[in-house]
Parts: sequence; structure tokens; C-alpha cells
Amino acid sequence: MKSNKILLMIFSLIFFFFEQTNLLAANEETLDKVMKTMLVVTLVVIAFVLWLAVVYSEKNDSEGKTFKAPLAAFKKYLTRTTPIEKEQEILLHHDYDGIQELDNRIPPWFSILFYGTIIWGAIYLLNYHVFDDGQVQTKEYNLEVHQAALEREFLIKTGAFLNEETVTALSDAAVLSEGKDIFIKNCASCHGQSGEGLVGPNLTDDFWIHGGGVKNIFKTIKYGVPQKGMISWQTQLDPKKMQAAASFILSLYGTNPPNGKQPEGEKWKE
Amino acid sequence: MQVEKFSYDNQVVKQFAIATVLWGAVGMLVGLIIAVQLYLPELNLGIQYLTFGRIRPLHTNAVIFAFVGNMIFGGVYYSLQRVCKARMFSDFLSQFHFWGWQLIIVLAAVTLPLGFTTGKEYAELEFPVDLLIAVVWLSFGANMIGTIIKRREKHMYVAVWFYIATFVTVTILHVVNSIEVPVSFLKSYPVYAGVQDALTQWWYGHNAVAFFLTTPYLGLMYYFLPKAANRPVYSYRLSILHFWALIFIYIWAGPHHLLYTALPDWAQSLGTVFSIMLLAPSWGGMLNGLLTLRGAWDRVRDNPILKFMVVAVTAYGMSTFEGPMLSLKNVNAISHFTDWTIAHAHVGALGWNGMLTFGVLYWLVPKMWDTQLYSKKLANLHFWISTLGIVFYAVPLYWAGITQSLMWKQFTPLGILQYPNFLETVLQIIPMYILRSIGGFLFLCGILLSAYNLIKTARQGSFIKNEEAEAAPYKNEKDQIKRGLIHRWLEKRPVQFALLSTVVVLIGGLVELIPTYLVKSNIPTIASVKPYTPLELQGRDIYIREGCNTCHSQLVRPFRSETERYGEYSKAGEFVYDHPFLWGSKRTGPDLHRVGGKYSNLWHYLHMEDPRQMSPGSIMPPYPWLLTQVLDTTTTQAKISVMRSLGVPYEKGYENFANEDLENQANKIADDLLNNGIPAESNAEIIALIAYLQRLGTDIKGGAK
Repeated sequence: MKSNKILLMIFSLIFFFFEQTNLLAANEETLDKVMKTMLVVTLVVIAFVLWLAVVYSEKNDSEGKTFKAPLAAFKKYLTRTTPIEKEQEILLHHDYDGIQELDNRIPPWFSILFYGTIIWGAIYLLNYHVFDDGQVQTKEYNLEVHQAALEREFLIKTGAFLNEETVTALSDAAVLSEGKDIFIKNCASCHGQSGEGLVGPNLTDDFWIHGGGVKNIFKTIKYGVPQKGMISWQTQLDPKKMQAAASFILSLYGTNPPNGKQPEGEKWKE
Repeated sequence: MQVEKFSYDNQVVKQFAIATVLWGAVGMLVGLIIAVQLYLPELNLGIQYLTFGRIRPLHTNAVIFAFVGNMIFGGVYYSLQRVCKARMFSDFLSQFHFWGWQLIIVLAAVTLPLGFTTGKEYAELEFPVDLLIAVVWLSFGANMIGTIIKRREKHMYVAVWFYIATFVTVTILHVVNSIEVPVSFLKSYPVYAGVQDALTQWWYGHNAVAFFLTTPYLGLMYYFLPKAANRPVYSYRLSILHFWALIFIYIWAGPHHLLYTALPDWAQSLGTVFSIMLLAPSWGGMLNGLLTLRGAWDRVRDNPILKFMVVAVTAYGMSTFEGPMLSLKNVNAISHFTDWTIAHAHVGALGWNGMLTFGVLYWLVPKMWDTQLYSKKLANLHFWISTLGIVFYAVPLYWAGITQSLMWKQFTPLGILQYPNFLETVLQIIPMYILRSIGGFLFLCGILLSAYNLIKTARQGSFIKNEEAEAAPYKNEKDQIKRGLIHRWLEKRPVQFALLSTVVVLIGGLVELIPTYLVKSNIPTIASVKPYTPLELQGRDIYIREGCNTCHSQLVRPFRSETERYGEYSKAGEFVYDHPFLWGSKRTGPDLHRVGGKYSNLWHYLHMEDPRQMSPGSIMPPYPWLLTQVLDTTTTQAKISVMRSLGVPYEKGYENFANEDLENQANKIADDLLNNGIPAESNAEIIALIAYLQRLGTDIKGGAK
């Protein structure tokens, strides 16, 4: 019975694990689904405990014979095996270097598992490739992307999602310090710890290759300039973060750090 | 009845047993080194032959083919003689097999760090070694079949069935997956490209697990476990059912290594359903193992040999449950490319193969040296250290895999990747890597303990080189196929048995491989995809030599979290000129399929010189030698010619001026680097590698949009 408990634990762990991944992308509908499945799981657990109670109830009837609960009998059926005392009866006349073989019948639960998985396999294939109900990977992907696009559209409409048209430079300390963190983590390897320029250009002077000002800087961060090695950050940083980084970069103006790279690009006037 | 006198050859078993422990310790030591390199990349000591990419294949090959391989052969030679009641067919073949196999291992240990690799997992060895493997393997097969044919026992025991299936299947797998065209003495290209190569490789790779790590070990279990427990095998019927079901179904399951890739959907689905169907046949082996111990459990408590075997069979049951689960698409979407797979593989390798090996050795050595085990206490200590080692190894990696995968997939409420910087997800799991290496260390300590204990045991006994035995000769009685006894009939006919198992294992392979090779619609062509330039081809071979594919995949899966991070998902038609495919199986670093054009040449240059310059905290080792080593262009001509012979459309005669193109392209990259302040030699290897990386995944952009 110990193994049963362990199995149950594994199953519920796996189950919670999947639900957790669903929750990560949760919307109302999936949450609802999760609640329902949680309810079902709880009921199943309760049923299992009750089953444990019933299955082990062995009583003596009036004549003193042991009377097994129906579930206990069922369990016995599932694992049907010849008791060890009677194994002489099923001992085959095989002898390989002293190794003998019994002819125990195949445990019914094993057969159920075996044929069950075969049936499951047939259903799976039919579902995916004949009835086309299952989602093959490209369908699944297109749906995922479509949903994300809808959500994005909504966020842009509500103004939660900044773009290069609507972005403004911010100057409060919290934003600038967040911008600094982002800069050190993502930008400093090419532009230097203080924006003095390394592989990438100096960001503290008057000169800008792709235009100065918060809108241009935001745009350069967002889309990148792949042919020159500036990578696009729009899939990696959300717009608020790009805004913070752009604002921080603007705050570097005139700091004149040591080892500054030569000016590149054109002098920028607002 | 007259009784014949003969003797069993213990000498070759002894040799294989010694080799098992020796190579086991070496293989695990290399494993420990690479485990530590994941958090201390400096551990390659700046030597190019010791980087993770080069010695990880050494570790896997050593453990699979040297540690497990030698145990298989030792165990087979011991048990086969006894259940057949016959000495091995030929002592010469036994010795040839032993020394041939050790030569192969030594060759692997030399060529892999030197960078001679095909880049295909568990089949990394180059073609001269492949040929040698084929010869030695066939000598083993001939010796085995010969012994079975001259046996004195009428029927073949279930262990022998597994040995036969192992021999025929591994032969097929090795030959089909290793068809390659040589470019030079130690360099070749596989005949398959892209999707076809991937399918062939994982048909091989998965069945290397099935028919090298599983079936022969089940055979060993069927001999050594009943012997050690002194109990009859639980169910003969179950043996028959699970043997045939196992070998038939296993061969189909390979595509589960390629879920959500550019492999056609139908092949992926076959991989999934056959993996699920594999659950019961696999558990059949576990059941027959554990239930054989019925009535002997009291002895398990104080017999270390049985303890090892119980944990082995349990680990087998666990990993054969986990395997089918990992083949489900929704689980695989999380587990694939992460450390979860590594944890799964090690529950199998350390638990099933490792523990069974020690159980067998502790039983075998006292028997052959006619003595008792030197120290039961030490064996018990070894048992606990190893079991603890497995737990310390696997559990942190499960957490690491799940954590990292969820971080890869996490979006912010605004629909932007929460952890866009790949490195962040790596640094998160470094503590888990440290714990894992402690687990590996414990397991290594275990094998050293066993070596000491076994040597001491041998010292106190005296080795029986030829063990005397006697048995009645084989009597050929005529018999008919009777209902219910068909299998009994088959058990007397080794040749028919071998042929039938060949047919059974061939079916799955043929159904999956042939349509993928032949049916065009499986790999839709993309017109803008062109062959690599000579410089890129050379760069690609450097990529293979350095084993970049051990840590970087080249396959963007069709998930939004991946297309946002890397770019358009990978299409089958993009890989048609990839001999071999380089999709990889683990992302220790980010995917590289869309890296072309993402960074500047300068970025790559500085990154290769020392990754931490560009990505602080990176665990990738520096590759400074690429900056100074001169690219060998003498091979260009042969490479282009071979590629054309494999169907890559280079113009006729192009090989004669390919090197001119190569130099032109190299000069351009060197000029660009110079413009950015780095004077690089245009003939350095780094230039070729940069050319290749900048080409990766870019062809599709030219055509589609």
C-alpha cells in the first residue's frame, strides 16, 4: 500500500505542476478550469481515503471465516497471483544453471495497463491525424501568437503599452535608478559602465548616430540597428523598462566619463 | 546417460570485470570534471582539449560503452556459458573481442578531446573507429551465436533472448546511423542531412539506450538476480510477453527526442504513442525482477548484493515510467533542452546500470575467486553512498530543469519575456549544479570503494581460470509445433529466434525512416535556402570540433516564448544542407539557430576571446586559441566535393576555386573587425566560425519576406 501512496503523491505533484504552468498564462477561463479540476482532485482524494478504509475492512462472519470487503476482493483480483506456499504447483520443469521458472499468470492490472496504453495510442493518433481535433504544433503556435496579438492590441489602446510615439523622458530618481540597473545589465558590455562607449558608441556626448532625444533613443533600443550590431530589445524589455533605460541614458549627458570614445554620428539639436 | 566434461572460461570474464571498474572510475571522474566546469568554467585550465564541449562526449562514451559495455560483455560471457552449458565458442574470439574493445575505448579517449567527432550524440567516433567497432561487435556476435549453437541445454533461457536481441539490433543501429563519407582520415560527413539525419540519429540514440543500456542489462538481471536471491523467476509467461513487446515497441520511440521540432507531425506522434505503450513492457521487466524476490525480502535487509539489485530494478521502474511521461508533448515542452533530461538519464544510468553492475560484481568476483566478499560492511557503505549520490545528483537537476524552463516561458503582464536575458536563467540554477556535482562525487567515491573491496576479495581468494563443469550432450529430438508451446519450440532454434527478432525490430525503424527519407512533402523546400560558402562550411566544422552543439541547440521550437526570444521557429527546409544536423539536445547556453546577424562580428570576436567580456557571469569557457590558430584550408576542396556527392548543389568544379571565395569572405570579415579596432588575421579560425554564426538561420529571411 505504501507504493500506492507514493504513486498518488507523484500523480498529484505532476498534476499541480501542470496546473501551475497553466496558471502562469492564466485568464478567467483557465482559472475557472483550474478551480473545477481542484475540486475534482479533492473529491478524488477523499474517495481514495474512503477506499483505503473500505478495502482493509476484513471481518469475520458468524462462522468465524474471514469475510473480505468487495473492494479487497477486487484488489486481490487485480494482483491475482499464486500464493508463495503453492508455488510448487506452477513450477516449470526449467532449470538453467540452477535457475528455475514459475508460471505465474500475468497480473491483471499489468494487462489492463498494457492494453490500455495501446488503446490510448490508437485514440491519440486518430485524434491528431484523422479527426484533426488535436492541435498539431503549428496550429497550436498560431493560436498562441494570435491570442498574444489581441492582448497586445488591447494594451496599446489602453495606453499601458508605450511606443516610440508616446514615450516621454522621465527624471524621477526611482526610474533613473531602475534605468541604471537595466543599463548595467544589458547595455554596459558594449557601451561601457558609464556610457563612455566600447564596442558601441559613447552615449554621454552631443553626437548621435541614430538621432538623440528620448523618442529616437527609445526607437533605437526597441528595434535595434542589426547591421551595426545594436540588437533589438523589444522582445526582451517591456516598454516601461526601455523608457527607463532611455531616460537614464539621457541623464548621462555631459558626465564626461574617463576613456570616453570619440564622438560618432551627428551633433544632435532638440 | 553419458556426461561430458568441459570447462567455463572465467579468464575473459575477469578481464571484462577489471575493465568495467577501471573505465567506470575514469568515466565518472570525467563526468565530475564537466559537472564542476558548469560552475567553474576555468577548470579546463585554458587547455582546448579539456573544454566541456570536447570532454562531455568522452564522459558519455566512457560510461555507456566502456563502463556499461564491459559489464555487459563480462556478464554475458559468464552467464551465457552457464545457461548454455558450454564453453565460449572460441577463446580466440573472446580475447580478440576484449582487446579490440579496449582499443576502441582508448581511441575514443584520444580522438574525442582532440576534436575528431561526428557531432552525433553517442555516435561521436569517426569512421575508422566506427569500422573497428563493427568488426569487434561482429566478433562478439559470432562468438555468442557460436556458443548458443553448440550448447548442451535444449532451450535458451530468457537472458539469452535478450542477448540475441541486443546483438542484432545494435548491429543494425550502428551500421545505419554511421553511414558517412570520409573527407580525410579522421573527418567524415553523414549521408543524411537535417531532418533525416535528426531522425536517424535519435532512432539510433534512443535505441542505444534501449538495446545497450536496457536489454542486455535485463538479460543480466534475469541471470544474476535469481542466482543471488536463490529464487525461481516469477513468471515465464511474463518474460515472453514483455520481451517481444519491449523489442518491438522500443524501436519506434526515437522521435520523442524531437517533439516540437521540424520533424513531421506524424513521426512525432508515433514517437509519443509508442513511448506510452512502452510503459507496460518495461515494467514487465521490473515486475519479474521484484516479484522474483518474493519470499526473499528478509534477506535483502542484510545482503548488500540484493540491496544493489533492488535499487537497480526500482530505478529502472522509475525511469521507464518517467520516460513515457517525458514523451507527452505538454511535459516535453517543459522538460526538453533542460537539465530534467539529464536527471532522467542519470536515474537510469546511475540507478539501473550502475547499481546492477555493482550488485553483479559483488556476486561475481567472490564466485570466480572462490572466496567470500572481503567486507560486507564496505559494500553496505558503498550502497548507501551511491544511493545518496543518486539522490543528490537527480533531485537538484529536476528543480534546475523545471525552474529554468518556467523562466524561459514566463511573460510579464505586458506580454514581454520576464527573463529575456538567457544568462539570468542560468545563474539562477548554479547552486543546483553545485549540489549535483556533490552527488556525482559521492557516486565516484562509491566506485573507488568497490574497487578496493573487490581487489581485496580477489587477493584473499584464488582465481579459477577454467571452471570445471559437466553436462549431458545436446540431444536432438524431433518435435512439432504444439499449441501453447510455440515459444518453447522457438527457444530451441537460435537462428530462427535471431531472424524473428531482427524482423520485429526492423518494422518500427523502417516505417519511420523510409517515408522521411523518400517522401518529399515531409520536408517542404525553401527556395532561398542555399548551401554554405566554403568559409562557413569550415566554420561549421570548427563548431562541430569544439562541440558547441553539446551546450547550444539550433532549433527554435514553435512556442511564442521561443520565437520572441530567438526569432522565427525552425523549418524543416532550412536544414537540407546540414550534414550532420546540429539541433542539439540541451540548452546550457541559448539557442543559436537565429543568431546570424544578431550581433556584430566584433561582438563574436570578443565573446570567443572571453565570453565574460560580453556577458558578465557567463559560464561559457573562453576560446582564445581560435583567435591564433590558422584555418586549415587544404581540406576545402575535399569537403566541397564530398558535400556535392551527398547532394549539396555546389557547381561542378567549384572545389577548385572554393578557397578563393573563402579568402574573399574572410578578408571582408577581417576588414570589418579592423574598422572596429581589432586587427585580426583573416586566416584565423575565428573568422570562419564568425562567418558560420553570422549565416545561421538567415537564409529564410531573404526569401520569405
